[in-house]
Amino acid sequence: MKAVHAFCVVLLVFGSVSEAKFDDFEDEEDIVEYDDNDFAEFEDVMEDSITESPQRVITTEEDEDETTVELEGQDENQEGDFEDADTQEGDTESEPYDDEEFEGYEDKPDTSSSKNKDPITIVDVPAHLQNSWESYYLEILMVTGLLAYIMNYIIGKNKNSRLAQAWFNTHRELLESNFTLVGDDGTNKEATSTGKLNQENEHIYNLWCSGRVCCEGMLIQLRFLKRQDLLNVLARMMRPVSDQVQIKVTMNDEDMDTYVFAVGTRKALVRLQKEMQDLSEFCSDKPKSGAKYGLPDSLAILSEMGEVTEGMMDTKMVHFLTHYADKIESIHFSDQFSGPKIMQEEGQPLKLPDTKRTLLFTFNVPGSGNTYPKDMEALLPLMNMVIYSIDKAKKFRLNREGKQKADKNRARVEENFLKLTHVQRQEAAQSRREEKKRAEKERIMNEEDPEKQRRLEEAALRREQKKLEKKQMKMKQIKVKAM
Amino acid sequence: MSTNNMSDPRRPNKVLRYKPPPSECNPALDDPTPDYMNLLGMIFSMCGLMLKLKWCAWVAVYCSFISFANSRSSEDTKQMMSSFILWPLSLLPSAAVLDFPE
Repeated sequence: MKAVHAFCVVLLVFGSVSEAKFDDFEDEEDIVEYDDNDFAEFEDVMEDSITESPQRVITTEEDEDETTVELEGQDENQEGDFEDADTQEGDTESEPYDDEEFEGYEDKPDTSSSKNKDPITIVDVPAHLQNSWESYYLEILMVTGLLAYIMNYIIGKNKNSRLAQAWFNTHRELLESNFTLVGDDGTNKEATSTGKLNQENEHIYNLWCSGRVCCEGMLIQLRFLKRQDLLNVLARMMRPVSDQVQIKVTMNDEDMDTYVFAVGTRKALVRLQKEMQDLSEFCSDKPKSGAKYGLPDSLAILSEMGEVTEGMMDTKMVHFLTHYADKIESIHFSDQFSGPKIMQEEGQPLKLPDTKRTLLFTFNVPGSGNTYPKDMEALLPLMNMVIYSIDKAKKFRLNREGKQKADKNRARVEENFLKLTHVQRQEAAQSRREEKKRAEKERIMNEEDPEKQRRLEEAALRREQKKLEKKQMKMKQIKVKAM
Repeated sequence: MSTNNMSDPRRPNKVLRYKPPPSECNPALDDPTPDYMNLLGMIFSMCGLMLKLKWCAWVAVYCSFISFANSRSSEDTKQMMSSFILWPLSLLPSAAVLDFPE
């Protein structure tokens, strides 16, 4: 008796819990009594459920609106309050396997899976709730690409650094024997050699050397390829480019005569002639072949006058140029060097750009991009050539004729420049005067006090009259002088 | 003394300090890549954020990485960081793959 009582309590508890759970279905459900045989089909499931851990299997079939609840620990023979929605039938089922029971069922519901095929429309589980890799396809691809980029950045940076260090180690001795100051970044208070390269970029390294006869200083720039940028690396696969070493020697004014001269590959010279201010003004002819002086065909010469070429192309220089022609991009000596042509804006009068006596060298590192640290040794003879050129530039002097020609050229260029800018300067002055007048007028107009306005107007008139008088005086003076 | 002078070209009294070249026009002339990439990165990250396009966000990531790799030393770190900060903002909503449609 007591056992039955306890059992009923347990049943009630379970029943109430299940009721609470299935409130949603209340409207559609009929409370139906189950026979044992109704569970015949679910036998397998029932057996599974009678295991240790309590399980609740809820089978939802939307079309049929049927809920099957299986509770653990219940005997098959239990009777209790089971709620089962069966709106279509609405009958108390007392007989097993009534065929009518299965009307409208397309599949036998013997699988506990909730997914049937037609005609049930099953909403896809949203992608972000799936755990398959396919949904992250794009992210995986992108992250892989980024990782590749970062790897390339690190590798490229290190390679450039190694190349720079190799270059410096090879050239250090030569530089230290020629210059007092080797390596300076301009930040130290005292001028002491830092003895190392300045890293401007991941692919550009600078070195400043100073303290030598003839020259103020020498700036060496190692312009490596952008190995740290993957895009650049890929672009270079299409079009091979070389690392470059650019050397700019600033000469003392008294140590270099006045001439403009360049030698290099034809392509480079054509480009320089277009870009560089001094080459375009003083060397207007096309680059000539250097075969006359024994240079290989790959090299051409741009010169202000023949005498300069004659003077420059001595035996040693020709030797250097012939032996290292493949590494030479361009060599440019000029006393009028002011850098590339500046694109000036309209209406802006420009001054003659400051010029400096400079020797510029651009060398290509052998390897065409696939450079190794040991290739830097091949550049050492070129540095010797640079030192030789510095000394040569000091020694080379134009003769009287050459000097006259050079001076005439420079005077001509200056005159042209002034003529060009004269018009511009006049226009600029005119526009400034007009601007002033306009501002004056506006001020007068904006003046609220009529008294003040009148006074300002009178002042302006007086000023204009004075100007006119002055001009008239000048004209009279000129006329008198002419007479 | 004179032989020493002749053989040794060094002149300690003629040392000139290094002056970095004036940066008025040079940075723009040299290589505009980092600036372009910076700008593109910002534009794409804005697009990605506003229009909820995942690919935009990813392109912005790439643009800012390229800009960083090509950057000049003279550039302000702040300028570079500005585009670097934007792409996580646009990518985070899509990173969780929660909101953006494929």
